Amino acid sequence: MVETSLQLLATALALGSAYALTALGFVLIINAVGAVNFAHGDLVMAGGFAAVALAILLPEGVPLPGFVVLPGVLLVMAIAGLALAGVAYVPLRRAPPVSVFISTIAVGLILQHAIALGAGPQPRVGPALVGGGMVELLGAALSYQQLATIAVAGVLCAAVHILLHRTRFGRRLRAAAQDPEMARACGIDLRITVGATFALAGALAGGAGLLLSHQYFVTPTDGATFMLKAYIAVVVGGWGRIWGAALAALFIAVFEVLVAAAVSYLVAEALLYLGVLALLMLRPQGLFGEAEGRRA
Amino acid sequence: MPLTFVRSLMTLGAAVAVLAGAVQPARAADPLAVSVLVPITGFLALEGTAQRNGALLALDNPPDGVTVTYDVADTATSPEVAVTALRRALDRQNPVAIAAPIFGTQMLAMAPIADRADVPLITVSGTAKLTELGHDVVFRFFPTDAVVKVAQARYAVEELGMEKPAILYQTTAYGQSGRAELVRVLAGLGVEPVLEEAIDPGIKDFVPALERVAAAGADGLLLQLHSGPTALAVRQAHERGFEGRIVAGSALHQPTTAALVEPAALAGVCAESASSPVSESSPELAAFAEAYRTRFEVEPDAFALAQYDGMNMVLAALADGARTGPEVKDWLAGHRYQGLAMEYVSDGTGNMAHDAIILCFDGRSRVPAVKKRYDNVNGIR
Repeated sequence: MVETSLQLLATALALGSAYALTALGFVLIINAVGAVNFAHGDLVMAGGFAAVALAILLPEGVPLPGFVVLPGVLLVMAIAGLALAGVAYVPLRRAPPVSVFISTIAVGLILQHAIALGAGPQPRVGPALVGGGMVELLGAALSYQQLATIAVAGVLCAAVHILLHRTRFGRRLRAAAQDPEMARACGIDLRITVGATFALAGALAGGAGLLLSHQYFVTPTDGATFMLKAYIAVVVGGWGRIWGAALAALFIAVFEVLVAAAVSYLVAEALLYLGVLALLMLRPQGLFGEAEGRRA
Repeated sequence: MPLTFVRSLMTLGAAVAVLAGAVQPARAADPLAVSVLVPITGFLALEGTAQRNGALLALDNPPDGVTVTYDVADTATSPEVAVTALRRALDRQNPVAIAAPIFGTQMLAMAPIADRADVPLITVSGTAKLTELGHDVVFRFFPTDAVVKVAQARYAVEELGMEKPAILYQTTAYGQSGRAELVRVLAGLGVEPVLEEAIDPGIKDFVPALERVAAAGADGLLLQLHSGPTALAVRQAHERGFEGRIVAGSALHQPTTAALVEPAALAGVCAESASSPVSESSPELAAFAEAYRTRFEVEPDAFALAQYDGMNMVLAALADGARTGPEVKDWLAGHRYQGLAMEYVSDGTGNMAHDAIILCFDGRSRVPAVKKRYDNVNGIR
């Protein structure tokens, strides 16, 4: 019983930590520009394909291929995030938020179809972070891959926290997100902060895509699933709450896995969405409160 | 959900735009046109691309004396896009036959229109209802669940000795149709599944399901899942040390699915299919597989081969003098045709394929071997 619970918890945390990275990037853009980036799920998918593509370039037998390609994936996807800002946000920054809503959906679809045309529609398996194998903990066999996924996601989340709270640049990002007009009056260049936020969100999406691509494969149509998880996490965690969204993503994965194991997947999904509906009715600001009090 | 709605609208727009560019009027000098309307984008892109490839390989090599023109259009994932593609093809091309989507929902929307135009739809869609609605233009070249699920259940029970199987199936129409047929056949064999679990295609982890399978005391797994989920279930069952045998649906026969799993994890795993071009050694199938690889740079699967056979049967009709949609339809309904995968003949409702095979992996290679053939399962031939 304890072994099974531990194994399920490890599974849930591995999945949830990748979802947390996804939600983190998603909420950063909401805070930076006040609009929802509906291409974020497709950025996660693109990150998975970037990992697959970069792994192909590695010589045969390279140890820890996932770790080797991780910096490259983060860089490529940061550039992709920047490009997304240039195409889907900057030209529409003075338009109503719904325009960005539509433009990001369009970019997401273009990305999805472009990858399907370029890489083919079939699922792909990304590079492993570590080799196969299990470690035993309290009688439960936990895979190295799951533990590495949790560790990498934890390090990336910690890096974002340090960037946002321990650096001058991070403080500028937060200031621009909290009050753009005041930040501009203080001399902060909003073009730089918005661009940097999109790049950071893209990099986090890339990290999540890499982590998911080995354990769960990646297909060009995966974006919608990731997007839905991120959106629910933000609603549950509190609109605009960075760490609320990350924690909610973890909670969602744990809830889904444990209920699915106890009853069924369908019951788990039904209960999750019922819970979200109840939350919207009883506490619309989310579990951790709403950061900005405005929604796209 | 606004996201889904807007995405659908945009996909529709994008597909119509692609369509507008892709479809050209057939040359006036050549009245024999064929339309290829299949899902090249969206969640069935893998199967739709195989359909397209199989159709093109046949149409590019017509028999002597037959000349065809063809155009390809993407039907994406919605019935509206498929219907628009069909109407446009009928208006602009006047085709004598149409390679039609594997997606049953699209086929159900297209069939009445094709029926009115009297143009045959050549498909590999498995949706049972397609051939039960009285549209005499639908010709299905992939065996229905009533054929392949018989093979899957019988092999599991009669050959592998499963007594307490668990069924994992997708919540989609494909999954539910296959699950219903599996349960029916198992009941006929005196076996009742110990667990039936419906799984949404978006589910990323099978560990909870495998825990329930173990808790139910299952001695084997029957899968009715799409490509990625099939590979995921097989890999995670291996990682968790599941000791029972696995007999998967036709998704596992696809080389792109097997490529996701290490050969060791595939050891002893079997799958049903209509055919497996990469597993057969006949010179004709080897030539088909080689031509397919050369042209498309991927391995062929049973969907590609079934669509190839279907289009070749249409070409045989044209070679025999059929010149219009109704003539091709009548020819297909009234003739037998020896394809590469099997012999095809209509059961009177457009079901042309009646054979199934069971493939198993040996743990050393990702190419499965044919373990058992179930010919003429429904007694039509």
